Amino acid sequence: MANFILRKAEPKDVSDILRLIKELAKFEEMEDQVILTEKDLLEDGFGDHPFYHCILAEVPKQQQSADGHVIIGFAMYYFTYDPWIGKLLYLEDFYVMKEFRGFGIGSEILKKLSQTAVRTRCSSMHFIVAEWNKSSIEFYKRRGASDLSLEEGWRLFKIDKQNLLKMTDEE
Amino acid sequence: MDIITKTLFVMELAEYEKVSDQVKIAQRDLEQDGFSKNPFFHGIIAEVPEHLKSKEDSCMYFFTGHTKVGYSLYFYTYSSWKGRAVYMEDLYVMPEFRGKGIGKALMSKVSQLGLAAGCTQLNFTVLDWNKSSLDFYLKQGCWDVTSDLGYHCMRCEGDALEHLAQGGL
Repeated sequence: MANFILRKAEPKDVSDILRLIKELAKFEEMEDQVILTEKDLLEDGFGDHPFYHCILAEVPKQQQSADGHVIIGFAMYYFTYDPWIGKLLYLEDFYVMKEFRGFGIGSEILKKLSQTAVRTRCSSMHFIVAEWNKSSIEFYKRRGASDLSLEEGWRLFKIDKQNLLKMTDEE
Repeated sequence: MDIITKTLFVMELAEYEKVSDQVKIAQRDLEQDGFSKNPFFHGIIAEVPEHLKSKEDSCMYFFTGHTKVGYSLYFYTYSSWKGRAVYMEDLYVMPEFRGKGIGKALMSKVSQLGLAAGCTQLNFTVLDWNKSSLDFYLKQGCWDVTSDLGYHCMRCEGDALEHLAQGGL
């Protein structure tokens, strides 16, 4: 049974955060999409108005991962807004290293996030899941999450920097 | 943007999306959350000169004689792959002022502000039955992440959220 603690990320953790972001992206077969750097994470997460918050799961040194890491799971989140119901907590990334799964670490992280949501008066927690990721979808549905894309027809759209620039030029 | 107009716009947009009974927020909440030192959202409003003010009644909220004819509500988010991003939560133009480029101008303004803040993408959701909006956005160079990558928007709220907070499985 893994002994672990959950704590808020600190500036010294950015290298571990980036490592875990890349691991999760690799699992989603999107590793080449990660262009974020440690410098970005430092600037964007630890100033006066952070763009994101992070919870980390840490194990004692004697239980470190096969490749020598003690930070073995994380969740990255931020606050969004729905003008009908108010503040929401948006879960951007949520990941536990494979060798540390099955010990309830993921569930504890989710519990911590939900407590944060309730404490900060958020009505809801939102996130996206790829439709092929059946085990994650089941994990969330078991905990009462609803699939807004299926149930209400929500489609997520994106416009990238190139097209944003084009739009601002066309005034 | 004054809070009364914003509240009325939120109601009109909800009416358009056919879900006005789901608007639980009060004017007081919008005021606290949008206009304090660390706002949870930002807003832009489209305004016309006095001589072009609205003529038609809009839904049940009697929108005659208004110069504020459209708005966009947005906030900053974070992509773990690309960094800073901007999320456009609401974009709305009163029916009698559509087809004049106001929607495009509002979206362009949000894009400018996003780029100035160091964002590399703009995200938003569209309901799948809203054909005219889907067409408008695809024309601006947007793409449908749900269709193309199979990403589904999920939500955990109310009892489920409380249950999760108590460690329930």
